[in-house]
Amino acid sequence: MEFDLENPLENLHSDDVSYLFLIESDHTPSQNHSQTLKARDLDISVRRELISLISQLSCALDPVLSYLAINYLDRFLTNQGILQPKPWALRLVAVSCISLTVKMMGTEYPATDIQALLNQSDGGIIFETQTIQRMEALILGALQWRMRSITPFSFVAFFIALMGLKESPMGQVLKNRASEIIFKSQREIRLWGFKPSIIAASALLCASHELFPFQYPFFLKAISDSSYVNKEIVEQCYKVIQDIAIEEEYSSALNGVSRSDTPINVLDHHFLSSESEKTNGITVANATDSPLGDLKRRKITGCGGNNPTILNSWIQPCERECEK
Amino acid sequence: MEKYEKLEKVGEGTYGKVYKAREKASGSLVALKKTRLEMDEEGVPPTALREVSLLQLLSQSIYIVRLLSVEHVDKVPKSQKSSSNPLTKPILYLVFEYLDTDLKKFIDSHRKGPNPRPLPPPLIQSFLFQLCKGVAHCHSHGVLHRDLKPQNLLLDQHKGILKIADLGLGRAFTVPLKSYTHEIVTLWYRAPEVLLGSTHYSTGVDIWSVGCIFAEMVRRQALFPGDSEFQQLIHIFKMLGTPTEENWPGVTSLRDWHVYPRWEPQSLAKNVPSLGPDGVDLLSKMLKYNPSERISAKAALDHPYFDSLDKSQF
Repeated sequence: MEFDLENPLENLHSDDVSYLFLIESDHTPSQNHSQTLKARDLDISVRRELISLISQLSCALDPVLSYLAINYLDRFLTNQGILQPKPWALRLVAVSCISLTVKMMGTEYPATDIQALLNQSDGGIIFETQTIQRMEALILGALQWRMRSITPFSFVAFFIALMGLKESPMGQVLKNRASEIIFKSQREIRLWGFKPSIIAASALLCASHELFPFQYPFFLKAISDSSYVNKEIVEQCYKVIQDIAIEEEYSSALNGVSRSDTPINVLDHHFLSSESEKTNGITVANATDSPLGDLKRRKITGCGGNNPTILNSWIQPCERECEK
Repeated sequence: MEKYEKLEKVGEGTYGKVYKAREKASGSLVALKKTRLEMDEEGVPPTALREVSLLQLLSQSIYIVRLLSVEHVDKVPKSQKSSSNPLTKPILYLVFEYLDTDLKKFIDSHRKGPNPRPLPPPLIQSFLFQLCKGVAHCHSHGVLHRDLKPQNLLLDQHKGILKIADLGLGRAFTVPLKSYTHEIVTLWYRAPEVLLGSTHYSTGVDIWSVGCIFAEMVRRQALFPGDSEFQQLIHIFKMLGTPTEENWPGVTSLRDWHVYPRWEPQSLAKNVPSLGPDGVDLLSKMLKYNPSERISAKAALDHPYFDSLDKSQF
């Protein structure tokens, strides 16, 4: 049974939602590590680079993949820490998270094509299949095979029903906007301390405040009255999400980018440029001339024919590091 | 695997060996279920990934045997230990909470041995209630067990707790070849629609198994002990009557349907003589031929048979 972000257990009934609330903390980057990570700017910038990489690669397949892959990445980082700040090792983690995500989501693309795509798209760094497999096993162990992640998406339908908007056009509009907010806010580690259900509730309230301000007080009451939700924590999370949205608007305006551009492009440009200055001797693909540009116009099945056989010097240090 | 000290091999499950072990740090007992991952060019197989993840999610319930940890070990075959670049065989150990016995052993201990005696009716009630709770938990999340049988229902005898084991493992892992030669995968609890080759079965297949287990707790012997698929069907038809298009629309169109002797249904009450009328009624609702007419696990929890049970303890 394939994995679906909205239904991690495949068939959620509203009367059984309590079970998801019970176990959701197992699928969230922990608060303690969030504090630890905040103290290390290098780690934050590394995470952002990896998120950009994951988003680039995932876009060629299915944008939804990126959310799950980043969830795996974040849980892995908070569990293991960034043991070695070597770009190739971290990219291996990112690539392996995508590979695991593809398996979980049951994409129709053959695995060999996925491998070829991942290798080809990674700016010249080539990982052997066996290397990715070993990293997959490492990640699985760190995450205790909890790969059916419970995310904010798992709770959106529940809260919409609570707001009395089940199967209504207004509910659909709110759901779409809340989902967009959830996607964008994943980049922000300030949300790591909040449970997925809290993020879902807060995102819906942000969406309703933005789209239906006059109904907002009623929606707030409906969600606050739920015994599954702590009102004070929702308020805190709501403020963080609002701050993120404001910063995003500011960032877009600053770069003179129109609102229709996706934040991915903005972030890619900014952080990849910074990274290319910091990292010595490593070429980081820029979003504008990324090989993905070509790939997007080509059939995915064509990737199989471009299986690179060139051994890159990075393979050797990678092998040695992985053996430790 | 250094965290665990193997104490003894306690079973050879359908999907691999099972060991009793102790976690060195805490001293607590665990069950190690050894499984073989069939790694191909894809690495970790997607099916294993999805099913183990599912087990992780579902086993947080108190009615499912708890999966505590997943340990991935790359075992070097003995024949290659001297090799400079050995090909490792990946093995997955599923670490479960340890429970001291299972329902099959429990029933057997009441049937033979030094002190044969019926299972106390309140205990049957309690075990059945917990079983229905666990099955309802799985079904409410769209998950079928498909292999419910007394061996898969683990017990904590002192606390009177029953838990479901081996959930989803059938799809995640390769069944070792020797299972087909040394151990017959039991048919006794298999629903008639499965035996007749239906490929579109649903939650009813587990309810049928629950009914068979219910009867077995009462009788202390299997209700339908067939040793082949054909014999299994004959056992069922002789007791419940040969199904017809009237009581099971579509039955004659199932892939493996043949012409069978037309048996009349026997009295179900006569086959579970110590069971009261409420129990017989519940059992009959679990053993309906038409899967869509079978009672659901959730509805079973509200059946009058459980009225005299103190449900607050669950």
